[in-house]
Amino acid sequence: MTAAADSAPAPSAAVSVGRASMVFNAGRVNEVAALTDIELDIQPRDFVSLIGPSGCGKSTLLRLIANLLTPTSGEVFVNGKPAAQARLDQDYGMAFQQSGLFEWRSVRKNIELPLELKGWAKQRRADRANEMLELVQLPEFGDHRPWELSGGMQQRIAIARALAAHPPLLLMDEPFGALDEMTREHMQAELLRICAAAETTVVFVTHSIPEAVYLSNRVVVMSPRPGRITDVIDVDLGGERDEDTREDDAFYATITQVREALRGAEHDSGQPVRGVDDR
Amino acid sequence: MSTAAMNAMRVVRATWPPILFGLAFLGTWELIVVLYDIKTFLLPAPSAILSALADNVGSVWDAVRVTGTNALVGLLLGTVVGVALSFALMRFRVLNELVTPLAVALNAIPIIIVVPVLNNMFSTTSQVGRRLMVLLIVLFIVLVNVAKGLRQVSATHVELMRSYAATPWEILVKIRIPNAVPYLFTALRIAAPLAVITAFVAEYFGGTQDGLGSRITSNAANSRNDVMWAYVIGACVLGLTFYLLAILIENAAGRHQGRTRSTTTTGTTATATPAAPTGVAAHS
Ligand SMILES: Nc1ncnc2c1ncn2[C@@H]1O[C@H](COP(=O)(O)OP(=O)(O)O)[C@@H](O)[C@H]1O
Ligand SMILES: [Mg+2]
Repeated sequence: MTAAADSAPAPSAAVSVGRASMVFNAGRVNEVAALTDIELDIQPRDFVSLIGPSGCGKSTLLRLIANLLTPTSGEVFVNGKPAAQARLDQDYGMAFQQSGLFEWRSVRKNIELPLELKGWAKQRRADRANEMLELVQLPEFGDHRPWELSGGMQQRIAIARALAAHPPLLLMDEPFGALDEMTREHMQAELLRICAAAETTVVFVTHSIPEAVYLSNRVVVMSPRPGRITDVIDVDLGGERDEDTREDDAFYATITQVREALRGAEHDSGQPVRGVDDR
Repeated sequence: MSTAAMNAMRVVRATWPPILFGLAFLGTWELIVVLYDIKTFLLPAPSAILSALADNVGSVWDAVRVTGTNALVGLLLGTVVGVALSFALMRFRVLNELVTPLAVALNAIPIIIVVPVLNNMFSTTSQVGRRLMVLLIVLFIVLVNVAKGLRQVSATHVELMRSYAATPWEILVKIRIPNAVPYLFTALRIAAPLAVITAFVAEYFGGTQDGLGSRITSNAANSRNDVMWAYVIGACVLGLTFYLLAILIENAAGRHQGRTRSTTTTGTTATATPAAPTGVAAHS
């Protein structure tokens, strides 16, 4: 077998990152080694959270998977294809902390945008937009303008837009970071329901430990300078996740486990862990 | 009560104080002129101005048309050229780095002084020099603002579009142009009143004598103060028309975006920035 065949991803992997490193401004005074030797395989229907102090390269890793950045070395496969091809095929949807809704478009037209760019016919777009509005339980808001919606509703529309083309993969960068605690917990439950319904694989960046534990079946713990993966923690909370899950002993035990993994990362790098939320 | 009736009520309530004040002001003015027997060449009474206006309404209207046409032609052409150039500025970074400082510098000097130069380039009966002057003033305001709107799109929007595998052309049509629309409206709101002022002042530098500015100076020189004031009324009407035009444009921009915005205007560069989108807002 050749080396190239060796490094090819398992065909079943939704995301496969192989020895990827990312250096910004290489060779200049402001050089930053944002990521070093990242190895990560994500299976279909996985919900994987990336957690770590700010500046550890979570967003950079997500952008590598999205092919919004190209790694300095190493390779990234999405859906068994090189990440660049996956982006051209719109194999993933993306959501950010800012909902990024286009204020000159109605909510419905926002959801239709990725479909427009795929060249879908008008009627098909409208049908899908209605379906997505139902999915995020905002069917009566299609003709509103984005700013008429609350922050949580805007974020639900952003998720509807990211999933409109039914991509197998959803990439999210702190999507609930700007929401208040109550809305946030509600949105987490909604996200689990939506992704279960759409059978979507999710990579989710957060700096909240409970959020990562509640949502994920795997939590990837990262440390800064240089950005590395220090631990991968499997989350087994048994059965459906609902509001009772947040009171569960297994939930608390896993939170403790993630927190200790983050402390370990702190030890390794000799830096205090900042910017990680214990709430 | 119907909304129309409520709106009418609101308009009446908002307009009666200034109208009452205006009438009181004119009444006092009339009274002072009559009581103290002030001569017309010093200050004509409102009644004298009104009768002068009635006697000269045809020629005042002609002068309004001349100056108004200059302002409108300059405003429209300046907008068209400004928008076209802003696309070039967005496309070619080098051009942007050359033109933007130039535009700022040109705005800092009173370029109205080049009117005689422009006039010399065309025949003495031509309005082209004045229209060019208006065009120049409008051009730079539109250029600087629209170029900004085309370039300063949100980073999240651009990343989203790239995640949709959008081409640069699609990013232009679906993101940059819609983003620049409110910038254009803001520029027009600033440029419309300036277009009138420029057209008006440009007449002080020679050329044909059929516009408002020329008529006001010549009547003042001949001590025909009441007639001069009649032309001043014409100038007020023209200025108000363009001001209203600007308000309508602003409302159109408001409808486009559907919410109020605050704008800042810096004196020298005349740029304006639509307010950043507010994250959360109440239900309508
Ligand atoms: N475009 C960029 N140019 C230069 N440095 C960058 C860029 N993007 C990120 N970085 C740097 O890379 C490191 C990781 O950033 P990021 O991935 O945003 O971290 P996180 O999302 O975990 O907070 C940081 O030190 C950041 O300053
Ligand atoms: Mg980040």
